[in-house]
Amino acid sequence: MKPPRPYALLAEITYQCPLHCPYCSNPTAVASAVLSGKSQTFDLTTEEWKRVIHEAAQLGVLQIGFSGGEPLARRDLAELISAARAANLYTNLITSGVGLHESRTRELRAAGLDSVQLSFQADGVDLADEIAGARAHASKLAAARQIREAGIPLSLNFVIHRRNIDRLAGMLQLAEDVGAARVELANAQFYGWAFLNRAALLPTREQVTRAREIATAAKARLAGKIDIYYVLPDYYEARPKPCLNGWGQRYFTVNPLGDVLPCPTASSAIPEMRFENVRERSLDWIWHESESFNRFRGTEWMPEPCRSCPEREIDFGGCRCQAALLTANAANTDPVCTLSANRALIDAVLADINVDENSWTYRTAPIHFEAATAPV
Amino acid sequence: MATPMQIADHTRPRLARGVRLQTDSATGKGVLLYPEGILELNETGRDILGRCNGATIGEVARQLAQEYDVDLATIAADVRAALGDLERRKLIEFT
Repeated sequence: MKPPRPYALLAEITYQCPLHCPYCSNPTAVASAVLSGKSQTFDLTTEEWKRVIHEAAQLGVLQIGFSGGEPLARRDLAELISAARAANLYTNLITSGVGLHESRTRELRAAGLDSVQLSFQADGVDLADEIAGARAHASKLAAARQIREAGIPLSLNFVIHRRNIDRLAGMLQLAEDVGAARVELANAQFYGWAFLNRAALLPTREQVTRAREIATAAKARLAGKIDIYYVLPDYYEARPKPCLNGWGQRYFTVNPLGDVLPCPTASSAIPEMRFENVRERSLDWIWHESESFNRFRGTEWMPEPCRSCPEREIDFGGCRCQAALLTANAANTDPVCTLSANRALIDAVLADINVDENSWTYRTAPIHFEAATAPV
Repeated sequence: MATPMQIADHTRPRLARGVRLQTDSATGKGVLLYPEGILELNETGRDILGRCNGATIGEVARQLAQEYDVDLATIAADVRAALGDLERRKLIEFT
């Protein structure tokens, strides 16, 4: 069957970030088939990103999210936004807001920036800065004002976890105060740094229940004013999330090194998979022909119980990265599913929550190492 | 927020801030692009939205009735239903 066309590209243009959030989905270490052991200089150049943007539009992509790391760390961001607009893409900036001063905001707006997703760590400065591992909260409030004054639609993103989930009401108030059109309250998904720090991040069942009530009430109260998306931690679900709407169906990610990933966390969660690089192959070839994009496309690859499950086209077997991280086999049913033979792994984690376990490792830029498959 | 029948003839619909209408080059169809979303339009939807550039709802309906050669009351109800739905989703604004 001919693969579908992609709709959205997540462009992770740098791993640099002034924040150190312990739930960052970036990899803790990166390897690339075309990386030869040195760092930074291996990030894609401006011209290479422009080519990626052009090829993505040719492939059918309609939306691009500039992310990272912190995308503002790249001085050529406005130039890349211009290139995306020239290719008729809708441009989203996914940012911490640190460094988004008035002149920079104007520069990005003039380049054609369509919308901004601004992250916050909590509703108040003390907790927020503790979570970020940096003094960032005040800059974020200032950035929110700049974005609103520039007339750019603003979404707020809060990553929710055990240390801030009881502050949901305050977060919603913050969203109202800064004039956000949309707020995403997404529980940490356990990949990258969040997987490493899971013991300190996973909320309790009581916290999750209360948070859902608050989010549901707020949705009704703010209907027509702010769109609220509340994402439950999937460990508490009985069925897995329909990850990416299916592998290689609608989305792909290009990381700072130019690796093309069906899912942003795939390179670290599924280390045995070889991902193609835009320096070696066209996006068109990678999307349609590569082993990595075809490996979990459709339903043919599925083992039981997914293969014969009436819900296989609803959740697509869940998340490949979660299967890989928890069962050491990316082709297994997502262990979140109560029909999975591995569900006990999730239940054991939930039964073992220790609310006194509060220490976490702050995120740093990923360590670069040479991939075993690198051409000599 | 208004139910479709409450939308007055002289209301002027326009795309909400941050929403773009364009052609999807992969399919040739109209799409609405907005923060974190894409809405694929059918032909009528695209024809309606393509006219939301300062025209009133009454004018949009009259233009379409003429173009499709259909009954004005029927198309006017369709236009109201479509725009009412998009307004609830904050993709268009009534002015």
